[in-house]
Order: sequence, then structure tokens, then C-alpha cells
Amino acid sequence: MAFTLYSLLQAALLCVNAIAVLHEERFLKNIGWGTDQGIGGFGEEPGIKSQLMNLIRSVRTVMRVPLIIVNSITIVLLLLFG
Amino acid sequence: YRVGALEFRGVHCVGMPGPASKRRVPVSQAGMTDPHQLFDDTSSDQSRCYGAQRASGDLGYPTTTSSPQADFLAHPVSNMAVAYGSSLAAQGKELVDKNIDRFIPVTKLKYYFAVDTVYVGKKLGLLVFPYLHQDWEVQYQQDTPVAPRFDVNAPDLYIPAMAFITYILVAGLALGTQDRFSPDLLGLQASSALAWLTLEVMAILLSLYLVTVNTDLTTIDLVAFLGYKYVGMIGGVLMGLLFGKIGYYLVLGWCCVSIFVFMIRTLRLKILAEAAAEGVPVRGARNQLRMYLTMAVAAAQPLLMYWLTFHLVR
Repeated sequence: MAFTLYSLLQAALLCVNAIAVLHEERFLKNIGWGTDQGIGGFGEEPGIKSQLMNLIRSVRTVMRVPLIIVNSITIVLLLLFG
Repeated sequence: YRVGALEFRGVHCVGMPGPASKRRVPVSQAGMTDPHQLFDDTSSDQSRCYGAQRASGDLGYPTTTSSPQADFLAHPVSNMAVAYGSSLAAQGKELVDKNIDRFIPVTKLKYYFAVDTVYVGKKLGLLVFPYLHQDWEVQYQQDTPVAPRFDVNAPDLYIPAMAFITYILVAGLALGTQDRFSPDLLGLQASSALAWLTLEVMAILLSLYLVTVNTDLTTIDLVAFLGYKYVGMIGGVLMGLLFGKIGYYLVLGWCCVSIFVFMIRTLRLKILAEAAAEGVPVRGARNQLRMYLTMAVAAAQPLLMYWLTFHLVR
């Protein structure tokens, strides 16, 4: 059972990095997941797709700076300790 | 409770900390009227006891002065020093208490550990045999859910925490009987189970967010519910140790079905409750999605129970 907390941390970091590199203009708009393309209705149920788009947008906005810091630390630690 | 404590003060503070059982009687009678009193309050009696002891001691010292220590303690400056020191300690304690609440929600956690033996017994029985239990609603009292010791449906963290630790120990025992044991394997088992738990909690929180369910299901509640499966896992592994693979599969199968039913009946009230309670004509698709979510969460429990234990029983 090699599934440890450390590997969970690594997987989480990689996932957040993956969400952060989705390019707004070149990719998200082309598949209709841009930030200005979905949040139209003010009804009661936002729907899964608009919730997902909201989530992606908020993760990209909030985690931009912390990701820089955490990535730098991870790079340095991995270079030093393998 | 306060009146009862005052009544007993004369009996207890003669010199020895009195038997706790006498103090519990007024609490249990008045328990239901004070929902914020999670635990028996022993602090006020204790300080009164100490105050009575110290007062009698201080009165006694000047009359029996035969040692330098007694002279030192009777000196007015050292009295002031003692008072100053105790006030400093009280201030420090206040500071720590105030700040620790910012990092660990201590008061919220205390609610989940307010259990007693009767509750634990009933809850364990419910986890193994939930088929006859009728009423799954948590009772509320003045807008806050009742503490677990008063309602068997309330989630608690005592059973999951104890079951987790017992699972680690039983896993070590099982590995030991197969000559595969080494101490770092214990840490690996603990880390693996915790990682799966964290993954489950994050996945469920994500899906709750995506389906926009407005529940009062807090994260700690969710951790408590997901921790109940360790009880079944322990039972399965122990039976597997005693009776081999057949015993393991039988008991694990039984516990898997029980946990499945338990989770569905509990989560249905939390996730689907407001849809049913509103009385509004429910939008079919959204309700169906919530039902799928409940079923998925409940179905993940047996899978994880098997995944985390099958390598322990050979």
C-alpha cells in the first residue's frame, strides 16, 4: 500500500498546477468554458457546468501566487533531496 | 446544576476531592435543560476546594511556625508574589485559550467528543445492525444539535478516532501473524488510511459543491460519518484472523451491507432533506442527482472497506 499522505500532496499539487495552466483565450474559450460565457442565468440552479467553470476561474485566480511559492519550494527540495 | 453544586460544597471541600458520582446526579437530571453543557463542570468545585484548603492552611501556619519554610510562606511579600504568579499564569492560560481557537475549532470539536458509554454501545450496535432503527433525525435543542450523549443519531468523532487507531493496531497484529511485520509498516498503514480518508472527504466536498446542495453537513460531520467504516473493517480483519478467509468474507460482507444502509439512511436526511421538507414540487433532475450522489457515497464505503483490508488477510 504505497498510497501515502505525501503522494496525495504531490497529486494535489500537480492537479492544481494543471488547472492553473489552462489558458483562457486559446483553450477555454474554444471549448465554451470561458469566464464570460456561462454565467448568464440568475435562476436558482447554476448547473454543474457553470459551477465547474466558476471553480476553475476561482482556483486560477486564488492559487496563482501561492502556486509560484509552493512550486519554487518543491523544485528546490526535489533538486536537493531527490 | 449550580444549585446542586452549592449544596454539595460543604460535604466535599473538607479536605479530599469528593467522589465524582455525587456530583453527577444533578447533572443528569438537569442535563436536558442546558444544551451547552457538554461535560460535567468540575472546575468551580475544585477551585473552591483548593481555596478552602489554602485558607485553612494559611490560618494554620502562623500558629505552628517551627520551620523556615513556614516563615517564608507567611511573609507578606511572598504572598504577593504567589498572587502575582498565579495571576500571570491565569493570563497566559487565557491567551492560549483565545488563540488556539483560531487554528483548531476546539469548542466545535468538544461537541463531537461529548459521548458516554451508553451512546457508544448503541451506536456500535446501530453500525452493525441498522435495519430496525426507525427514527434517524437528529434532535435539535434551541437551534443547536443535541450533544451525542443525548441522541444516538448525532455524529461523533470518538468512535471514528478510536476505530482508526484500533484498525492500525489490528493491521499490525495481522501482519505480525504472517511474519510480514516491521514497525514502519504501521506508519505506512496509518498514512495510507488517512490519505484515503482525506481523498474521500475532498471528493465528496467537491461533488457537494458541484451539485449545489445546501446542507448543514459540515466537514467534521462528514469526517465522522466516513470514519464509521473502520468499525466494520476491524470486525472483518479480526474474524479473518480467527477463522480464515471465510470468516473474513462473511463478516466483511455483513458489515459492508450494514454500512451501506446506515450511510444511505443518514445521508438521505442531510442531503435530500430540504428538498423533501420544502414542499415545493421538486425538480426531478436535481433530486435525482442528489440521490445518485448519496448512493455513490454509500457505495464507496464497502469498496474502501475491502480495499483497505484484503491485503491483511491471507
